[in-house]
Amino acid sequence: MADDSLTDIYGNRIGVACRCHSDLCREVTVSGPKLSLRSVLVYTCGVWLLAYAAFCCTENTAVLSCAIILTLVGLMVYIHFFKVDHESLLIIGSLGVQLSSSYASGRECTSFIEMSKIKDVVINEAVYMHRVIYYLCILIKDPADPHAVSSVLPLFQSSKPRLKCLIEVYKTCQEILAQS
Amino acid sequence: CGVLLTTATFAPPTPALVRSHRATARAAGSGRHRICMVSDFFYPNMGGVESHIYQLSQCLVEQGHKVVIATHAYGDRRGVRYLTRGLKVYYLPLQVMYNQSTSTTCFHSLPLLRCVFVRERITVVHAHSSFSAMAHDALFHAKTMGLNTVFTDHSLFGFADVSSVLTNKLLTVSLCDTNHIICVSYTSKENTVLRAGLDPEIVSVIPNAVDPTEFTPDPGRRDDSKITVVVVSRLVYRKGIDLLGGIIPELCAKHPDLCFLIGGEGPKRIVLEEVREKYQLHDRVRLLGALDHKDVRDVLVQGHIFLNTSLTEAFCMAIVEGASCGLQVVSTCVGGIPEVLPDEMVTLCEPTVRSLCDGLEIVIARQRSGSVPSPASIHRRVETLYTWRNVAERTEKVYNRVSGQEVLSLDRRLTRLTSHCGSVAGAIFAFIAVLNYLFLLLLQWLIPDDVIDIAIDGSGPQSCWTQTSSKKGKRKANQIL
Repeated sequence: MADDSLTDIYGNRIGVACRCHSDLCREVTVSGPKLSLRSVLVYTCGVWLLAYAAFCCTENTAVLSCAIILTLVGLMVYIHFFKVDHESLLIIGSLGVQLSSSYASGRECTSFIEMSKIKDVVINEAVYMHRVIYYLCILIKDPADPHAVSSVLPLFQSSKPRLKCLIEVYKTCQEILAQS
Repeated sequence: CGVLLTTATFAPPTPALVRSHRATARAAGSGRHRICMVSDFFYPNMGGVESHIYQLSQCLVEQGHKVVIATHAYGDRRGVRYLTRGLKVYYLPLQVMYNQSTSTTCFHSLPLLRCVFVRERITVVHAHSSFSAMAHDALFHAKTMGLNTVFTDHSLFGFADVSSVLTNKLLTVSLCDTNHIICVSYTSKENTVLRAGLDPEIVSVIPNAVDPTEFTPDPGRRDDSKITVVVVSRLVYRKGIDLLGGIIPELCAKHPDLCFLIGGEGPKRIVLEEVREKYQLHDRVRLLGALDHKDVRDVLVQGHIFLNTSLTEAFCMAIVEGASCGLQVVSTCVGGIPEVLPDEMVTLCEPTVRSLCDGLEIVIARQRSGSVPSPASIHRRVETLYTWRNVAERTEKVYNRVSGQEVLSLDRRLTRLTSHCGSVAGAIFAFIAVLNYLFLLLLQWLIPDDVIDIAIDGSGPQSCWTQTSSKKGKRKANQIL
């Protein structure tokens, strides 16, 4: 399923890989666009130019050191907490779903949802920023009433693939869900 | 004038992508349209415009058109919802200013509305109600995007006071390059044509309708030992509640078996309470307060006579509803009311206490002598007069006509604005139109049209809506995959 033409909602190319471990176990990995050197340079230059402007006015070198620290810390915070390298969805029939996202710094966040808590996996529409987008989500059962949905858990929140990709993942999930 | 010079050389505005969308739409559609209804007023808000949009959309969906509705978010009701038959409603998060109408800046709603128009591949944008800022915004954006536009006016306006002058100016600007305008009565058409300085050729009259199955007579519910006059309206100045306050004591003094049943709420309730207090009519004048739409019929069937005292009305739905429940209708003769019902079904009076009392006296006498037609026969006649299917068919003709027309290119639109709307307002709005176009170009550069996912149709020729779809309508993805 590795398809080069898949993009996210901003038109950036993303990679989607689907691994079939067995009949009951599939893993879908969506990797977002890499951290581009250009945007890092643009932001760094922007902050430094501002700092130089401030330095020219104040003639205080602390401004420059501040700018250097700010860019470094900013970059680290960004790659550690915000920049998601790839997100994966591991679905195992009759057992559950594991969601993991690994950040550019190498940090990984993993969570697991038991199959008994999952009502369904659906594609939904939402207003996001200034647009209306499709997203894939897991409907979590209400423990009190098994027919009601207590919450909705969106998948691939940082890579935001387009509908074409979501449909593929949806089909994969439904195949497994139908078996169990 | 400087604005004119700089913009006269502008390239035609229709973006290539929108044009290609529309070309495919026409080729595949064969008379089927993809319509986006835009108005600030939609359910859960209740009123005439809301039910008009809903019923019209349902009938158009039945005819095989694709319809989506765009309105602003009501409380926590925001996002995308589906109604019966896959009718899709976008509750867009736009700020509400006053009286459920959004604020207008002419720009801020463009990103969201563009997204809706592109992903739903809209061919006709149909805006409702001149009170709705979102409707005017949508018309403006649709014209910038090169889509055909239709506008329905639901209300009458004056010409004299400051607020009317201002709204009339806005309406002139908004409607001067709209493809087609629909009014609910001939009076309303005349009013709109005068207010907005339009060519009457592009204004159609399509009346409202009632759902006759919802308003059925039930003579068993009324008390025949007395005569009950029913009034159902908002208790506001426009509805002539001051006249009602004059009628009640006069007729109650003359006819000891006369009762009034008044449904509705509003600032003029105090007038009626005063009258009731002053003449000790507590047992004969019942004020029911605000009514839910579903309760209206229950109130109507309890009466013999339906009284409408409106001072201005584009098309009076209330008297049709009253007649549909088999009541004798007495109404003021204002606005579009004389066009609504045939003469033998309604008694028309001048909007004065004297004339209304005379009218009511005649009907009361007729009621006593038993020479009125039976409720069932009145209902059968009204049933055929105004149906939503008929409204939808006529609206469809408007869409057919509109979709064949070309949308004004930006340069011609600017010429139209400056020549039709006066030199100052024309120049200002021509400038705004140019800014709007530039903003659209910026958005198209940021998010090109082909990056916006085409939505899966809930209604229309490629609809994937089925009765078995789950409540949220999301499972329908199953069928197309």
